[in-house]
Amino acid sequence: MRLGPVPAVLLLGALAATALLADHLATVAAIAAALLVVLMRTGGSRRRPYLFGAFASGLSVLLISPLVAVVGSHVLWSGPILPVIGPIDVTSEEIRIGALAALRLVAVALAFGVYALSLDHDRLLASVGFARRSALAAVLATRLIPTLERDAVGLAEAVRGRGVEVAGVRGRGRLVSPLVSGSLERALNLAEAMEARGFGRPGRTRLPRAGWTNVDRIAVGLAVVVVVAGAVWL
Amino acid sequence: MSFTYPHAGAPALQDVSLSIDSGDVVALLGPSGSGKSTLVRALAGLVPHFHGGRFSGRVLVGGRDTRDVRPSDLAGTVATVFQDPEDQVVMGVVCNEVAFGLENVGAPPLEISERAEEALATVGALHLAGRRTTELSGGELQRVCLASALALRPSLLLLDEPTSQLDPVAAEAFVEAVAGLGVAVVLSEQRVERALAVADRVVFLDAGRVLFDGGLSDGVDWLAVNRPEFVASRDSASHLASASGEPVVQLDDIAFAYSGVPVLDGIDLVVRRGEVVVLEGPNGSGKTTLAKIATGLLTPGRGTVQSRGKACYLTQDPGRYLVKERVDAEVAMGVGGDLGRARAALDRVDLGWAAARHPRDLSSGERERLGLAAVAVGEPDLLVLDEPTRGIDPERKRGLGNWLLEYAADGRGVLVATHDQAFPAHRRVRLGAQEVSLV
Repeated sequence: MRLGPVPAVLLLGALAATALLADHLATVAAIAAALLVVLMRTGGSRRRPYLFGAFASGLSVLLISPLVAVVGSHVLWSGPILPVIGPIDVTSEEIRIGALAALRLVAVALAFGVYALSLDHDRLLASVGFARRSALAAVLATRLIPTLERDAVGLAEAVRGRGVEVAGVRGRGRLVSPLVSGSLERALNLAEAMEARGFGRPGRTRLPRAGWTNVDRIAVGLAVVVVVAGAVWL
Repeated sequence: MSFTYPHAGAPALQDVSLSIDSGDVVALLGPSGSGKSTLVRALAGLVPHFHGGRFSGRVLVGGRDTRDVRPSDLAGTVATVFQDPEDQVVMGVVCNEVAFGLENVGAPPLEISERAEEALATVGALHLAGRRTTELSGGELQRVCLASALALRPSLLLLDEPTSQLDPVAAEAFVEAVAGLGVAVVLSEQRVERALAVADRVVFLDAGRVLFDGGLSDGVDWLAVNRPEFVASRDSASHLASASGEPVVQLDDIAFAYSGVPVLDGIDLVVRRGEVVVLEGPNGSGKTTLAKIATGLLTPGRGTVQSRGKACYLTQDPGRYLVKERVDAEVAMGVGGDLGRARAALDRVDLGWAAARHPRDLSSGERERLGLAAVAVGEPDLLVLDEPTRGIDPERKRGLGNWLLEYAADGRGVLVATHDQAFPAHRRVRLGAQEVSLV
């Protein structure tokens, strides 16, 4: 039986919250691994930007955190003293803290990836009984990622089509600003179309909704248990 | 009614007076940038509410003054389908997308699904009801957008180039379906013959003014005298003597698949110096894919591509992919920043006046011409254009066709992927044989 969108969001939120609350590296790693398994079973090629975002940000934190943190006494490597930052050294405690922070970030990013790729956002939106505008904004923002990816491919292709090479970080970096401009224009067009279709007008109705199943109720209970366990024992 | 956009020097609409009755099917014609889209927005109340600007006069829709009611309050009475379907889709699944407007206007919940399915069936898209909107082609999305508008059962249906991404068969079925609804329809179209085939009235705009407003036969007569290109485009394609220069690109036994789904299989194509070749075919037949392979932007799964010289490619909807802050700089990208050559290229597409403007300030048709200038400025040996006539008025389309013939006559090759059956060419290559029709 398929999990309803609201219980699914609560369960994913609980896993992300537990990853942030838990202090044990193994616990956070297990959550990240579980979310990775779910993400790898969904989305096909659409999961690439989410995987890249999760692991690139996690790796950045893992590499930078030990260099800027000043924690612990078990020095593994001593570097120079830099102005403002101070001594650059790496301790085993800093590595552990960096790894924990990186895994937390990866877990949260993977939870977002699962939310973005495997949930029925229309049903989620229909299930939200309050703050519908905010819910719609969140759903549209979620959809922005694949749209941005598609626009980035189209933009690079359009520029290459003019005989201009788009290569390297610098070449691709030059496309970020037009990509953002294009997204803003797209958002403006969408807002106009939504207004023309009556969005925001009082007296709104909605399609009849399906009720919650036992699986949904169990998932919500599980979400509560996971958060409590994460806060108290993990 | 007159209207000037914020920060614009000249008004977009000037002293426009119109009355549209129930059941009227109005073909709204005019050159690119003449104010057609602005007039559509004024009828929907989006001008001035959404865009701001200076507005004088009044627009009454169903007896309500658009200055006094929000556009969202007019939804249901008025329904609008805009140019770009990708920018109108809110929901993730087609049936929910069609239901979105019905929910907003407060349709009874038990009627919503039924009305959504009925509207989808009217445009021949009921089979798409359960599909994800992100997986649809541009043509399919346009039909879904029309269904979303029809589901509201409006008194006034506003269509701003609604068939720009449809092949001729689907486009004709689309406008016929619209004309048979029995509601007032304003159809802004650059494919004039398509609009005139179903309209009973013609309104012609130029520089924001209504130059003609009258019945269909009078309208056709007026166009024949005053804007002959608008009716000349009803003729069939020009037939030109074939050219026989050396191949600038030769494709043999090409096959290509997207994620395992074959699009092209065993395709041969040659474009010679001195000739314009048109690629035709229904939506999904692989025209764009073949055009990209010819340019070198895609590598075929099977087959060989032999190219001689530089190739450039004008993407579909180039107005979306703008990079620079000025029009001349946008064009100069293709020639290492040479602004002199860029301005000359802009002059060739009648955009010299816009050199210092921001590219995103241009109308859709002007952006299309800007895209053309940006790829042609480097004078490539092979110029590949993907739907270059979209949003371009008949006069400029004729100019573009003639210019491409001259370009090819200088010893270069031109490949044009288009739904436009009247586009002049030395040879026409047809891909696929898929039938697309509307119920």
